[in-house]
Amino acid sequence: MKILTEMPDVTALMPEIVMTCLALVLLMLDLFIRRKEITALLAIVIAAVVGFFLTGSSGTAFSGMFISDGYSSFFKLIFLVSLVLSVLISIRYIKIESVNFGEYYSLMLFSTLGMMLMASAGDIIVLYLGLELMALSLYVLAGFLRHDTKSNEASLKYFLLGAFASAFLLYGTSMIYGLTGTTNLKAIAHYLAANGVAHNPAVMLSVILFVVAFGFKIAAAPFHMWAPDVYEGAPTSVTAFMSVGPKAAGFAVFGRVFLTAFGGLQVDWAGILIPLAILTMAVGNILAISQTNIKRMLAYSSIAHAGYALIGLIAGGGNGVASMMNYLFIYAFMNIGAFGVVIMLRTEGFKGEEITDYEGLAKSHPLAAALMLVFMFSLTGIPPTAGFVGKFYLFMAAVAEGYTWLALVAVIFSAISAYFYLRIVMYMYMKEPKAEVALSTSAPHGIALAVATCAVLLIGVLPSGIIELARAAVAGF
Amino acid sequence: MMAEGIFIYLAAAIVILSVLVITRSNPVHSMITMLVLFFHIAALYVTLNAEFLAAIQVIVYAGAILVLFLFVVLLLNLKEEMVARRYIGPWPLGVLAALGLLVVIVLSLKSFIPGPSGVFTTEVVRAETNTKVLGQILFTEYLYPFEVVSMILLVAIIGAIVLAKKRLRN
Amino acid sequence: MDNYLLIPFLPLAAFFVNILFGKTLIRDKSHWVSLFAVVCSWVIAVMTLFEVIGGRTVNRDLYTWIVSGDFRVSVGFLIDQLTAVMLIVVTTVSSLVHIYSIGYMHGDKGYYRFFAYLSLFTFSMLMLVMANNFLQLYFGWEAVGLCSYFLIGFWYEKKSASDAGKKAFIVNRFGDFGFGLGVIMIFLTFGTLHYAPVFGSVNGIVGKTVDFLGLQVDLPTLIALLLFCGAVGKSAQLPLHVWLPDAMEGPTPVSALIHAATMVTAGVFLVARCNPIFVLSPPAMNVVALVGAVTALFAGTIALVQNDIKRIVAYSTVSQLGYMFLACGVGAFSAGIFHLYTHAFFKALLFLGAGSVMHAMAGELDIQKMGGLKKHMPLTYWTFLLASLSISGVPGFAGFFSKDEILWRAYASGPLGHLLYAIGALTALLTAFYSFRIIFVAFHGKFRGTHEQEHHLHESPKIMTVPLLILAAGALAAGWVGIPPLLGGGEHFAEFLAPVVGHAKGEGTHAEEWATMITAVILGLGGIAAAAFVYLRKSTLADTVAGRFSFIYRLLWNKYYVDELYDTIIVRPTFWVAKNVIVGVTDGKIIEGIVNGVPRFIGTLSSWLRNIQTGMVHQYAAVMALGAFVVIAIVLFW
Repeated sequence: MKILTEMPDVTALMPEIVMTCLALVLLMLDLFIRRKEITALLAIVIAAVVGFFLTGSSGTAFSGMFISDGYSSFFKLIFLVSLVLSVLISIRYIKIESVNFGEYYSLMLFSTLGMMLMASAGDIIVLYLGLELMALSLYVLAGFLRHDTKSNEASLKYFLLGAFASAFLLYGTSMIYGLTGTTNLKAIAHYLAANGVAHNPAVMLSVILFVVAFGFKIAAAPFHMWAPDVYEGAPTSVTAFMSVGPKAAGFAVFGRVFLTAFGGLQVDWAGILIPLAILTMAVGNILAISQTNIKRMLAYSSIAHAGYALIGLIAGGGNGVASMMNYLFIYAFMNIGAFGVVIMLRTEGFKGEEITDYEGLAKSHPLAAALMLVFMFSLTGIPPTAGFVGKFYLFMAAVAEGYTWLALVAVIFSAISAYFYLRIVMYMYMKEPKAEVALSTSAPHGIALAVATCAVLLIGVLPSGIIELARAAVAGF
Repeated sequence: MMAEGIFIYLAAAIVILSVLVITRSNPVHSMITMLVLFFHIAALYVTLNAEFLAAIQVIVYAGAILVLFLFVVLLLNLKEEMVARRYIGPWPLGVLAALGLLVVIVLSLKSFIPGPSGVFTTEVVRAETNTKVLGQILFTEYLYPFEVVSMILLVAIIGAIVLAKKRLRN
Repeated sequence: MDNYLLIPFLPLAAFFVNILFGKTLIRDKSHWVSLFAVVCSWVIAVMTLFEVIGGRTVNRDLYTWIVSGDFRVSVGFLIDQLTAVMLIVVTTVSSLVHIYSIGYMHGDKGYYRFFAYLSLFTFSMLMLVMANNFLQLYFGWEAVGLCSYFLIGFWYEKKSASDAGKKAFIVNRFGDFGFGLGVIMIFLTFGTLHYAPVFGSVNGIVGKTVDFLGLQVDLPTLIALLLFCGAVGKSAQLPLHVWLPDAMEGPTPVSALIHAATMVTAGVFLVARCNPIFVLSPPAMNVVALVGAVTALFAGTIALVQNDIKRIVAYSTVSQLGYMFLACGVGAFSAGIFHLYTHAFFKALLFLGAGSVMHAMAGELDIQKMGGLKKHMPLTYWTFLLASLSISGVPGFAGFFSKDEILWRAYASGPLGHLLYAIGALTALLTAFYSFRIIFVAFHGKFRGTHEQEHHLHESPKIMTVPLLILAAGALAAGWVGIPPLLGGGEHFAEFLAPVVGHAKGEGTHAEEWATMITAVILGLGGIAAAAFVYLRKSTLADTVAGRFSFIYRLLWNKYYVDELYDTIIVRPTFWVAKNVIVGVTDGKIIEGIVNGVPRFIGTLSSWLRNIQTGMVHQYAAVMALGAFVVIAIVLFW
């Protein structure tokens, strides 16, 4: 009989522990804080503190259930960046939506905690729990506008389909557990290699079930159906958050599970992911064209971007994965930036979610239009923005691994995507303002947009830093 | 043979009851069917030497959650719900997908080779009792996931409070 | 010392300041921003020149944008003797043009925009000459083209201006296509785009051939000629010279800066910069020399009969650029660059003088409607005269030294060189003639314009005449750095450039050198005398000759009908094919089907697919399950 006589070594776990404790403290403190801006500020401080602890954390804990390495740290950086940016663009917005509660920020922190656990998961059980922690917080956040039926609907849909996807994940887990007798990722890989069951159909079944579950999280077609409805209905700031952090977390576990546990099956699962990636890019880019609501359009765009990022995973190897991570990092800035501009159009009594609301924005609000232009260019992948750099490395990684045709397909879909991104630009710059559009601005919002814009342009001009960081991060994988 | 017979009965009953739960137009009927369903699941746990889980299943699900459901159902006026058609849209698509999935999964499971079992074999569990074994493993090897679960529960509570109780300031 | 970085980036900063705040905040003070930037650049350029003279050259990558395998995209600077000369030329002329424009563009509604573009152009040109790799060179190349396009079409309300802008853009596409191919060939051949490794290993490609369009082509020749394509387009050589005269639709300071002193000389710079590649291929060198010589003569003859003052100067530019290529083609790269350098002064001066005249004449360009301007605008007259003396190769002036150098090197280069010399000397005669034709027709004699115009005549303000005076000093003295040994000079210029472009010593005796020089001088002075005779003494003679040789006159007047030729063989067939083949034969179905059909198809597909998104959760779940089913079925049971 084993009795725990001493504290397990948790130094690797410090960022998560700090995050948990501080998030709980914030939850308590919020009771005494009247001005919720302070709660938001504290949430950012917490993110900064966690970021500080992130630098020193590495190693494993709890007999390999928790892994802190470069890979996980890089993803955690993405999560924290998206958290901070989302909090900044939320402050004014949730006031306008009159849901200015402190729990909003606590839930964001808990959701981020879930993502961090996912990125560090060395065991499918922990992975699943992290995923549920993240998702549960998001279900609540998606339905945060209680008075808005669309928000309620988004929340419920996300919850039901999320539960459905979890069932796939659990089924896959049970399958792989039955086959290998373990849920530890490394042990699974070891068992599969040692016992020659790697090509057992049941293993492939399990792989496919994982693809379904993770594909749901990253909104890859045909498991993307929830995304447009949820993105549209959820509060815009939550949509911004949701389209970046959880997607990155989905990719983090995708990479972790497939490269660790199923590393020996790369050819097989790449064969599954290639058609999915193409379908995802097709569905995202083609359906985005016929949207009239900008949040919905960005939802499809976010589906399409999942397709691009999948190319990095398919290419595999250090380069491919690094290019995927690099892309997700860049995507965090450009997408939250775009949503940041969308949020600015939301004022009391005006939704500002229709694409036609952007007509003539350059005349009435040149700065906002210019920012949107930068983000749209970046999402399209026009140099010298970061979006170009991200795509460039992805496609080059694909070419280097012999998937030239796949890169070519992706380029074609990128070209199609120019149609709907640049349509926004065209509306802003070439049409006359239809109605007076006011902007709701605030200092934090301005900071978020400034940071996002600078990042998009800076990474576009000086891309080597991030890609080198990602490559170094993958090296310790 | 005997054990297999029991399993087949329970499994079939669970599937049929599940279908019944979602096809009843009267919510109260659904609830009652669900109660029966929960008992069957508990019975399934018993056959797997997991008596602790069986007890939890009965106490938490059948005892607490279902009663809460019933409260809600009875508190709300669900007359319209009782007459509304349950199946809207293309349900054949769902049936098709489900059946297809069932077929391919069953087919691919034909080649399933069980992996090695761990230290907690049926004999060990029988000797130590399920509750004790579960407790041991939960607080040693699975301490970390256990703590994470507590966070999930906390978030669920916060979520429930935020969505249900918090007054909107206007 | 890394302050050379400021040389291009100050104008870039000025561009951003002007484009962002020019319209609202700075408005009619825009020139201060741009002028300050470019003058600072000039100061640093001069300092850099002295450092280079002191033997310090720079070649380093400032930063690398993207690395992927062998492919490196980096911004880097190469500052050697050639670059230093170009820096001086660009920043000097640019500074003076900035000052001049303050007066010339005063009150224009696009004032801030004009200065923003000038700054952007200066930046692009500096990046072009400072590049240490072909990609950046290409970037600068396209960027100056784009700025030129903006500035030619600056008064875009004028149809001729926007047409000329388009023409410049389209004609340059032809050349740039070749240039782009050349850069790609260099990458494929050498695996890098940086000058140093390319030029360092260039001897390795001697004798290699490559399959090009099914022909076995000598690799150095192919690369050199592809690069030369770009030079032909940018420097307006035959047969792509047609855009430059039309580009005169732009504001005159722009013509002086871009279409005389800097951008159009980029082709010469390119050839000089790539001299290690060119010298490997005698055929390519001969092509360069012949294209240059023929263009020089060809453009010179057209300039004889034109009446538009700016067009005469524009054809003169094309002709002088021909000289520079001639020099490069005979291996005298330093002579080509020397002429580029002196030409920048006197040609910018001619353009700015022409601008000053236009300013006084309320935009009138026809020299036949001028006359006697000398007494109204003495400063303009004297500086214009100085520039004309310089371009005519009158001994002592800047143009004399550079032109003499070219002609002597051409003569000394061998049998073909004699022919080239003959063409060059003949062109010198023509140059002197048409240059002084402007002087005598526009500045001497009686005023032939309207009474209103005569009343309006005035000398330009100081802000415009001071740059003229400075340039005049350059037109006089700039050549003194390259006095040949024959005249007791030290050939400092050629020796300075020797580390980059080599220093070819011609074969020939002193006697021959004297002979070529004296012949050229006599021809130049003869041209001036002829012009004086025709336009001062017997002013009817010109008409008589024109009448007698009306065929030739019309040929020249219509610029050899090249525009019409292109119109007939390229533009019209294109339109004809567009109209009859594409629209007529296929009834617009195929192309329109592709152009409109693809987006329409995608749009339709999009709307159709949209219907799947019903908003019903159970259906979404069903799609997910179906997706899982299909994947499993295909992967496991196919």
